[in-house]
Amino acid sequence: MTNTEKKISGDVVAGVDVGSLAAKSVIIADGEIVGHGLIPSGFNSEETGKSVLQHALNSAGVPRAALKYIVATGYGRISADYANKTVTEISCHARGANFLYPSVRTIIDIGGQDCKAIRLDSSGNVVDFAMNDKCAAGTGRFLEVMSNVFKVKLEDLGDLALSADSIVPMSSTCTVFVESETISLIARGEKPANIQAGIHHAIANRISGLFSRVGIESDVFFSGGVAKNKGMRKAITEVLKVNIVEPTFDPQLTGALGAAAIAWKNAVREGLCQAA
Amino acid sequence: MSSSVTTAVKVNTLEKIRQALKERPAQIAAAKQKGQKVIGWLNYFVPEEILLALDTIPVRIGTGGDEQLVDFGGRYISTKNCVFVRSVVGLLGEKKDAYTPLLDLLAADASCLQIFRLAEVVKYYFKYETAILGVPRSFTAPEGRAYFRQELRSFVEQLEKFTGRKLAEDKLNSAIELLAKIRVTLRYLYEYQAQDYANLTWREVFEIVHAGFYLDRAEYLKLLQELVVELETLPVDKNRIPGLQPRIFLTGSQLSPGDVKLINIIEDLGGQIVGDDLWTGLSSYLDIQITAPTVDAVADGYLARVPHAALPYLDIGTDSRIKKLKELLQKFRAQAVIDHTLRYCDPYTFKAGETKDILNNEGYPFLEIHTEYASSDVEAIRTRVEAFLELVRTRNDVAGGI
Repeated sequence: MTNTEKKISGDVVAGVDVGSLAAKSVIIADGEIVGHGLIPSGFNSEETGKSVLQHALNSAGVPRAALKYIVATGYGRISADYANKTVTEISCHARGANFLYPSVRTIIDIGGQDCKAIRLDSSGNVVDFAMNDKCAAGTGRFLEVMSNVFKVKLEDLGDLALSADSIVPMSSTCTVFVESETISLIARGEKPANIQAGIHHAIANRISGLFSRVGIESDVFFSGGVAKNKGMRKAITEVLKVNIVEPTFDPQLTGALGAAAIAWKNAVREGLCQAA
Repeated sequence: MSSSVTTAVKVNTLEKIRQALKERPAQIAAAKQKGQKVIGWLNYFVPEEILLALDTIPVRIGTGGDEQLVDFGGRYISTKNCVFVRSVVGLLGEKKDAYTPLLDLLAADASCLQIFRLAEVVKYYFKYETAILGVPRSFTAPEGRAYFRQELRSFVEQLEKFTGRKLAEDKLNSAIELLAKIRVTLRYLYEYQAQDYANLTWREVFEIVHAGFYLDRAEYLKLLQELVVELETLPVDKNRIPGLQPRIFLTGSQLSPGDVKLINIIEDLGGQIVGDDLWTGLSSYLDIQITAPTVDAVADGYLARVPHAALPYLDIGTDSRIKKLKELLQKFRAQAVIDHTLRYCDPYTFKAGETKDILNNEGYPFLEIHTEYASSDVEAIRTRVEAFLELVRTRNDVAGGI
């Protein structure tokens, strides 16, 4: 079942996910999504968290004072005095995906500076995970660098890759090496779209390595900012040979949504909210 | 030292052990003045029984967690060796700690070939006198046993020449008995700390084990026995309410004295470490039977122990290391396993995947942590450990999960 957004009053909780590149927040009232916000992360995690929370509250039309519980997640969770509780983004992505699509058992999350493979059960509890954050390879930052090389907007990279008529194999997934390899390929006259397809496949191959540790089970959900990139979705589908659930809610907000779902559960448990 | 796992009751003998440790370098220096030789040793197979029976002072060498020592050591040994090895090369090269300036000889066994290389490097660059003890790769075969007996005989001959003493049966017998008692007592302390309401934490027992790397072994045994008596008389520590913290077992590469990054993270995040099979922890004190005061019996006893990770054994299904690990998980009532791998400590890295599958099937969640001594990965490790503890809390309904 997919929850649709609606603005309602009642018991309200929030999830705040301050990532390396973007901060996200989702507001839940009576167990339903009623608002959300998305802003670039600033230098001050605490202020960024408060700011994106306010954006989400504004979109829900709910005053700050109405919030019964806040859960913070993401890299900025360590500076979140405004939150009642902090939970890792790994648990939050699992709960967020489960909130939207209870049949999901595997999550691929590609964020600004890391990527994760998460396995979860039918209740949205994490049963295993693997994470790569040793380098920028296979992350949103990698794609940012590539968009600079091609002088295209980050959000247009995926479409460029989708227009490829063949895939140029890349010999590395190291951001620095791929950047120089790409410049060589452009100089050699390779089509930008084909190079982009190669880059997207290189990332997908790198991500597939994470699943050798945790396994993969349907349904598969793709979360994080990079999940909006259609070229990346296609590359992952081809490399992992799995169908990815078509998102009906912004996949970049999955962590914040999970944080809000955990906030709701805790608020109910502590008697601050009535179970929906 | 930051830790969320503490006991409320003061344990006086623990303070005495800490005090004895502070006084130990001066004690060794005084004994050295009187002609006693100091032998630093490394790894898993060097028998302290032999070192004690030859009236030398054994010091188990190696600290961890210091990136500057790694950098220094990295000038002499390839950076493809693990940070512990590079750090020890740095330690032995700089000689700025309390013990390395006191060493007369460095003994190392070749179970881990990086350690073997370390001994060669410090001999070449820093002019240490070294004694190398070969360890068979075919450690389960009769030929392997014969090889190790011969290696230990040669090792003893070298040390006899070095010390000017002959290995005496009565002294070997005394040393065997002394170390056997130490092992029994340390095993007891490990079991004690894992109990509910114990007045000693795993971290304190780990600290006590490390104190034994340096202290006079007879004095150490007295302190351990005094500690056991004191623990029996102390009131129950009601501060350690059982069931509120995930019970974590540590396996994998060694954590040497000073290497506290992972321990701090686990404890800061609310995990309770309840056991380990690290060779700088419990592993060295398990399952050793020396049946006679002879060099061959010592060799047999050491070779029959749970094998060091660097010794190849390809069928993980019948690997005694896995069997022992499962036994310890039950004994310490662990809920989950954190597998610590120092980068380039390959034996642990290679087996981590299979070990994980086996333990997952037994119902233990398993987290692999790859790290070095640099602090740059602290936050990345923190996120993994925190998520893992959330998983265990939820799975085992520890304090209501997340």
